[in-house]
Amino acid sequence: MTVQAYTLDDLVKRLDPQATEGASQQYFLNLGPQHPAAHGVLRVMLFLDGETVVRAIPVLGYIHRGIEKMGESLSTRQFIHLTDRLDYLSALMNNWAVARTVEKAAGIEVSPRAEWIRTIMAELQRLQSHLLWLGVLGMDLGAFTPFLWGFRDREELTYIFEETIGARLTMNYVLPGGVMSDIHPEFAARVKKYVAYIRPKIAEYEALLSGNVILEERLRNIGRLSAEDAVSIGATGPVLRASGVALDLRKASPYGAYDKLEFQVPVGTVGDSWDRYWVRFEEMRQSIAMIEQLLGGIPEGPHMSVKPAVKVKLPEGVHYGQLETARGILGVFIAAAGGSDVPYRIHLRSPTFNNLWSVTRLAPGWRIADLVAILTTLDLVIPDIER
Amino acid sequence: MSVFSPAAVIAAPQVFEVKTLASRAATALPGSLLESALYVLLAVVWIVALLALTGLALIYLERKIAGHFQCRLGPMRVGPHGIFQTVADTIKLLVKEDFVPDGADKVLHVVAPFLALTATILLLVILPLSPILQAADMNIGVVYVTAISGFGVMGILLGGWSSNNKWSMIGAMRAGAQIISYEISATLALLVVVLFAGTLRLSGIVQSQADGWWIWRAHGVGVVAFVIYVIASTAEINRTPFDIPEGESELAAGFHTEYSGIRFAFFFLAEFINMFLVAGFAATFFWGGWMPFHVGGLDGFNSVMDLVPAGAWFAAKTSALVFLVMWFRWTFPRLRVDQMMRLEWKILLPVGFVNLFAAALVVLYGLYFFPGT
Amino acid sequence: MALFDPKGARAETRQVAGKSVAVLLAPRLVRRGFLHDVFYGLKSLLTGMRVTLPYGLTTSRIVTRQYPENRGTLKMYERYRARLTFIRDGQGRHTCTGCRNCEKACPNGSIIIETAKGAVTGKNEVQRFIWRFDACTFCNLCVYTCPFDALEMKGDFEHAVFDRRLLVYNLNSYAGPHASLWDKVEDEEQRKTLATKISPYDGKVPLAGTSMAGCPARAHGEGGAS
Repeated sequence: MTVQAYTLDDLVKRLDPQATEGASQQYFLNLGPQHPAAHGVLRVMLFLDGETVVRAIPVLGYIHRGIEKMGESLSTRQFIHLTDRLDYLSALMNNWAVARTVEKAAGIEVSPRAEWIRTIMAELQRLQSHLLWLGVLGMDLGAFTPFLWGFRDREELTYIFEETIGARLTMNYVLPGGVMSDIHPEFAARVKKYVAYIRPKIAEYEALLSGNVILEERLRNIGRLSAEDAVSIGATGPVLRASGVALDLRKASPYGAYDKLEFQVPVGTVGDSWDRYWVRFEEMRQSIAMIEQLLGGIPEGPHMSVKPAVKVKLPEGVHYGQLETARGILGVFIAAAGGSDVPYRIHLRSPTFNNLWSVTRLAPGWRIADLVAILTTLDLVIPDIER
Repeated sequence: MSVFSPAAVIAAPQVFEVKTLASRAATALPGSLLESALYVLLAVVWIVALLALTGLALIYLERKIAGHFQCRLGPMRVGPHGIFQTVADTIKLLVKEDFVPDGADKVLHVVAPFLALTATILLLVILPLSPILQAADMNIGVVYVTAISGFGVMGILLGGWSSNNKWSMIGAMRAGAQIISYEISATLALLVVVLFAGTLRLSGIVQSQADGWWIWRAHGVGVVAFVIYVIASTAEINRTPFDIPEGESELAAGFHTEYSGIRFAFFFLAEFINMFLVAGFAATFFWGGWMPFHVGGLDGFNSVMDLVPAGAWFAAKTSALVFLVMWFRWTFPRLRVDQMMRLEWKILLPVGFVNLFAAALVVLYGLYFFPGT
Repeated sequence: MALFDPKGARAETRQVAGKSVAVLLAPRLVRRGFLHDVFYGLKSLLTGMRVTLPYGLTTSRIVTRQYPENRGTLKMYERYRARLTFIRDGQGRHTCTGCRNCEKACPNGSIIIETAKGAVTGKNEVQRFIWRFDACTFCNLCVYTCPFDALEMKGDFEHAVFDRRLLVYNLNSYAGPHASLWDKVEDEEQRKTLATKISPYDGKVPLAGTSMAGCPARAHGEGGAS
């Protein structure tokens, strides 16, 4: 194996061989790893001509924590709590992805009630994640007010999680065989109240942001990602759907209680920033509709089918499972030696990693301000990129 | 000896006599040098006090209003409802390290914030807060206002250029393009009022509105000019939706990225006082400044309006406009730099020229309210 | 017709991966020329200003909770995961048998259990149940795994200390048998010898072998342990 290390000068030269010859007015600039628009420690190397981006290359490595390596010495049940720290806005869905893979591999049956709890929690979290994204989008485009409104509405959801789970962000709730604890007796009533609360707020966001001419100018036709490019990059989730590919695992291969739900998949037409914006905005409405349907019938039964003391042993071989998080498809690949609950190798296919690389195709030709809009409509959660 | 008669007092329209501090000093000069010097000193104290107090008040207000727009309380810790928060922050900024980045043009880096603040102070001098609260008045007031507000961009340009930081540089270049472009539209809007008032003197413009403020007296052209002026001047003072030179989420902090301590405070203060100035000038030109709400011919009504002191009228109008600008900031996203330029050159400027032409016709044919007076 | 029509989304059915999927197509923004755009642009800005104005003028929509002031009324949810504690009965006895299930379940080694054979009972007795508050990620697996319901996560808050050694302490208040073993000992005199009282900071701190000596905050009565 060879590892290629580049100095900054090398990278600049790779970006543009003529850069050092002083013939052009192009210059090099780092966006990040400390930058207000990077929302974490993302670094994008920019090659600029005036304000126009000539080339943009994301540089990773600032928040690598070796989660996959840690997974090689932890049982899958223990590993799940680390997946909270990937895409922390989809913590429950990350838990679920690992739990599903383990269940499929070990042949564990999950009760309908546990599946119901998982589904409603996942949808609540998708809504929570998109609310935060909407706020952050407002802030990135210069409107600070939606940012705090987004946090306000998200806060109410974290209280719902806190009441049932006991944690607000890193929840570690879904385990192989079910969920860690049954829903709180007041859960359904609270969610019902929340749905009634959030509907007028969504209308407010629409009046404040969706219809706004400035927002429209900032998003329309900016950063078009064609369906072919999106597929070849491996983009998933709202980024892929905004490019016109209606791939949503909740429809394409339903899991949990999704096959019993009626919902539409929001899809974009040209794949510009506006489509990505609208797809996520509409997904919030669809999530609310799903939550309402789920509240209609709560199945009875146990919330967990595996006793805590039982080791969930994985059969020898490779196992793969995936599901749709708020950002796209999270794939969990487990290679097991057999006879143990500790995997030999665990690999995560995180949605943000692939979505991020569409920046390299989207940014050239647009200005710095557009790059910020593109980054925010990709809805990046940096810890998910590097694991 | 006249007998006091309330009816006569109400019936007679109040005559506002403008006495600026500069004119008082000039009047006193032949008699007593000391008195004249005292007036000059008073003017200096007045400007400094206005600068400091307005700055403190506006920064506090902005935080409170921002808080409420965002479902927050705003500052609550220092003093009751946080009223001393800005004072505490000022002290913090004063004791902070005054940092000059490596490789920066040291002289320009140090001078730039003073330039920005100087332009602001020079504009404060001419702002008519009331018939007696005006430091100086001059026959070419409008030209002065336009010239000096264009001068403010020097501080921003030099600050961004001298910082040896590409983000600052981009911010400064954006600011230069933006402020100079929008200067044109703002001036065109002011010229509409100059056409109606027939004078460039600010006190004269205020007094020309004794029969009604130009925003309604000049029919549609007044309203259009006012809207253009508000948009253009919001852009001139770099506030959302035109906060492109700072563009927090794009350029970190734009031209003042590398500034800290008291020099940052100067930029910050200049920005807030500029907001006050722009609101004050908009009030002066379109809403009558310190002139109470008058309708030509209705002397009884006008006298009742005169019961409210002139300074209070100015304060109320300016506060309303300041709130409007803050309301913009906490509602709108930011435009992109080329869209901002497009708005100016393709929308505001043509509309401004057409409006100026229409205004000239309106003045020529006396089509506005109370043209005789 | 505005620039953005919220009802402009078109519904259709598409074939994806062999399944028919109901999709909703994003509305495109309508452009109709200069005057139309300026008019609807201004209108959209006014719409936004109408949305925010009530927020700016009233105080009823403020959601801020002022933290240190509301400390008295602040109540965490019963399931809130914070400080790991022993569940104790009326006499202060815990039910931990020292089975080490929690120690094994802990993903990051935050729990260290020291046991010894009891002289009277002849069974495993917990000497020290050390919990590393500083390493804990509050995954709740210890509580979830415990077969004897000996543990719970208590919902208190304000855990900041000035010395990290204060975050490593013993959960048990005595070294000795769990509640049901206790009841099996008939002799009153023997019962008195069953347990030795220990403080949260008794023994070595498992942080590079350091002890609590010289821990400044300890002298002031501060500590991570309650």
